[in-house]
Amino acid sequence: MKFVARKPREGINVSDTHPLAEAGILIVAVSAIFALIALLLIFLVDIVLLFVSAETEARLFASWVPEDLVTVEENDARQEDLAALLERLAARWPDSPYTYRLEVSQSDAANAMAFPGGLIVVTSGLIDRAETENELAFVLGHELGHFRNRDHIRMLGRGVALGIVLGALISGDGGANLGLTVADLTALGFSREQEADADEFGLSLVQEEYGHVGGSWRFFERLLDEGDAPSRFLAYLNTHPATERRIEAIRDYAKKRGWPLSGPTTPLNW
Amino acid sequence: MPAELNMALNIGLPLLTIVVAYLVGSALERRHFADILSREDEMHGFPVLSFESVPEDWRVGSAELVSGSIVVSLDYFKRIIAGLRGLIGGRVKTYEPLLDRARREAVLRMSERARARGFDAVINVRLETSRLANATRDGQGTAGIEMLAFGTAVKLDRQPVT
Repeated sequence: MKFVARKPREGINVSDTHPLAEAGILIVAVSAIFALIALLLIFLVDIVLLFVSAETEARLFASWVPEDLVTVEENDARQEDLAALLERLAARWPDSPYTYRLEVSQSDAANAMAFPGGLIVVTSGLIDRAETENELAFVLGHELGHFRNRDHIRMLGRGVALGIVLGALISGDGGANLGLTVADLTALGFSREQEADADEFGLSLVQEEYGHVGGSWRFFERLLDEGDAPSRFLAYLNTHPATERRIEAIRDYAKKRGWPLSGPTTPLNW
Repeated sequence: MPAELNMALNIGLPLLTIVVAYLVGSALERRHFADILSREDEMHGFPVLSFESVPEDWRVGSAELVSGSIVVSLDYFKRIIAGLRGLIGGRVKTYEPLLDRARREAVLRMSERARARGFDAVINVRLETSRLANATRDGQGTAGIEMLAFGTAVKLDRQPVT
């Protein structure tokens, strides 16, 4: 028998799975696993929070400023007035375990955020756009509502948990950095229920302070009116629920409680 | 910079890089495989053997060490897929074509050189791989691999008796 040299069959050492199919399978599988881990961590954060009292939290974060999230503006003259307003509102919630601090963040986007340890950060963009004290009182009252429900620290915990998961994902996939940071994740926002609860609590503080709730959601109505310039308000709308439905819900709640829907508003000093 | 533009850049640019890497990487890989196949056809019939010694009926006139090496890298897209695979384990399918290309190219370069210099066969062929690492910014990952094929090229005094 004569030896005839033959070429080996092609593709012995290479799988015929298309790289895109491989990518699809892997992305789905890995996302599912990480989503599961993230959910577990979030659940864990909620459990841990049951054991960390608000007093402990206030003590731990007493002088903490999230410098990676906000640029605190030291010499904004309006800060003192706002802090005084916050104090008046907080006095309407006497058993609050926090000592509140108010900082102004230099940012064009209109936003307000609650942070662990009783820190409320308001952007200068929000103050610029406010027209009456009542509007600001409602915004501050809303943030106080987050403190009462402890949404702020839950969110921070979730942000850290997701950050850990995302960090593992990013370092594990050979350097694909999608540019998401813990800061982005913390800004993902609270759930609609959390926001609604905070709204209701904020509104009750406003009602107690002014005797009516008139003008307090005027700010959000203006956000809607300026709907054709969305980017300036994007920050607020991103972290807060759909404004139209929100205003409706606030008004309904005020009606249900029998609070006067209009009254004299207090002008701002600046 | 507006937040949405920032976000779009942060997510869009890496995604664009991945897409471009995929398209270019696949095209280069296809081209390389086509090249390898045609050159293998060309070299068909030239004995490249892993025997350590010459068959008894070969009369060797001269012998010389020949080698062929290639350094080749994976594209960004496939590297990411391999990275994801590294999280859960299993066959790293996206690396297989890379290694296949490298092996065949190295053997081709070695045998092409041997034939060009008038040798009749290469025996005792061995393959060596080394990883060129630490080229990415975080010190992880693989810059590429080097595949080295080497063997002993032999020139026969006369055609082997059959």
